[in-house]
Amino acid sequence: MNDEIFLNERIKVVAAFGEGLNPCRPVKFKRSNAREVVISEIGLVHPVGHGKRMVHVFDVTDGSADYRIELDAERLTWRLTREADHVDA
Amino acid sequence: MLMPDKYNPEEPLVMHVDLNSAFASTEQQARPLLRGRPVAVVNRRVKNTCIVTASYEAKALGVKVGMKLLEAERLVPGLVAIESDPAKYRYVYRKLMAILNSYSPHVVMKSIDEGVMDFHHLPAGRSLIDIGYEVKQRLRDEVGSAMRCNVGIGTNRFLAKTAAGLHKPDGLDVMAADNLRDTYATMKLTDLTGIAEHLQRRLNGVGIYTPLQFLDADVVTLEKVVFKGIVGRQWFERLRGYEVDDRPIVTKRVGRQYVLENRNLSRVEIASRLHNLCESVGARLRGQDKAARGVYVYTRTIAGRFWHDTYMSQLPFYTDRTINSLAQNLFAGAPDDIREIGVHCYELSDNNNDQLSLFGDELAREQQLSGAIDAINQRFGERTVHSADTLATDRFLKVKIPFGSTRYL
Repeated sequence: MNDEIFLNERIKVVAAFGEGLNPCRPVKFKRSNAREVVISEIGLVHPVGHGKRMVHVFDVTDGSADYRIELDAERLTWRLTREADHVDA
Repeated sequence: MLMPDKYNPEEPLVMHVDLNSAFASTEQQARPLLRGRPVAVVNRRVKNTCIVTASYEAKALGVKVGMKLLEAERLVPGLVAIESDPAKYRYVYRKLMAILNSYSPHVVMKSIDEGVMDFHHLPAGRSLIDIGYEVKQRLRDEVGSAMRCNVGIGTNRFLAKTAAGLHKPDGLDVMAADNLRDTYATMKLTDLTGIAEHLQRRLNGVGIYTPLQFLDADVVTLEKVVFKGIVGRQWFERLRGYEVDDRPIVTKRVGRQYVLENRNLSRVEIASRLHNLCESVGARLRGQDKAARGVYVYTRTIAGRFWHDTYMSQLPFYTDRTINSLAQNLFAGAPDDIREIGVHCYELSDNNNDQLSLFGDELAREQQLSGAIDAINQRFGERTVHSADTLATDRFLKVKIPFGSTRYL
């Protein structure tokens, strides 16, 4: 029913910091298996508080799969937490 | 004094904004590859769960809110079911609220996906139609391009909400004295907010079958025969565009319920889930700075039989320990074969910690303990500290978004 895979993978991210409503824009990320994902669209960016620690959640796509990557604002680390594939149906 | 046959002649100054299929649209916004696909949002990853929201693509194929997922998947084989993600919806809710608050100081969020702006008592300026289109554009700019909303403008909250439902998705309509009759002529009784099947039957009983007949009914019939009380007069005025719904929302009880994940759970396992609910209710109670005097526990059995019991205390309480202790005492009398449990606290009052009590030391200790636990949970995240017997229950009892209430958002 739900094809999402839940992950907790440290990733390396290239992001651009600019202006506007969403100043942080991840451009691409590299997974632990060395595969590089180039982000074609950022769907939604929303903050989630884990107590007083803030994590910024980015729902993104590379055009063939949707991903969720999270920036921990305290530790300044990025993690890939979800992956979902939908192009075949 | 209200003229019985007149419609409210004033300029429409109430705007209702309603997100279209809010949760499904948010999921489609977050996950671009879901756009244009039939999507259903569910609260649990099981087949016999009910659909909370369906995308417009799914609705067009016959999927309805409240339908069992299994049934919907049979109807639409490519349906994508997604577990609800409250954090995302809360974010969109806060964005919508911020947009609405930038136009009027009189904003009331009616639920997680709809809000009302009142422009009375504000200096005349831009037309509300312009503002309505701007709200739509800002929602797309500030949340995302897949987000759409319906806007309704009327002389009261009822007409504004009715107007918002006329052209879904992404409509903007005005309902006022000049087009009231024409609009009602296109609707069914159950299209009116607040008229469900049982009220429809009552109206049918006095020969009212359409909104226009409802509008033309005299106030005495509505007051004395159909609604048997002041509600009849309120409907008479509401349908004519006069404001009767501008009332503050008062919290009368705080509660949570849970449909058991497995029908073969032991009594002890169900009690630990009840304990988890009690901790959640306690946190909500204290979060609103309230104390309660009453506890209400209910169960529903697999056969659908409903059981409930209540306890009223002389002294107000608000700690998890007290709520759980009272609820567990009540639960001991519940029947077997349980499918659903719930606990509510009622008779709420403002929490006054300073009141002296004969049991001062004990109460002070309990207050300090609750305060310390709440402070830890606020700092490090919900349920960082909780009772040991609820340890295994968190993966089942996830907090979901309540419809119709914005108290905990």
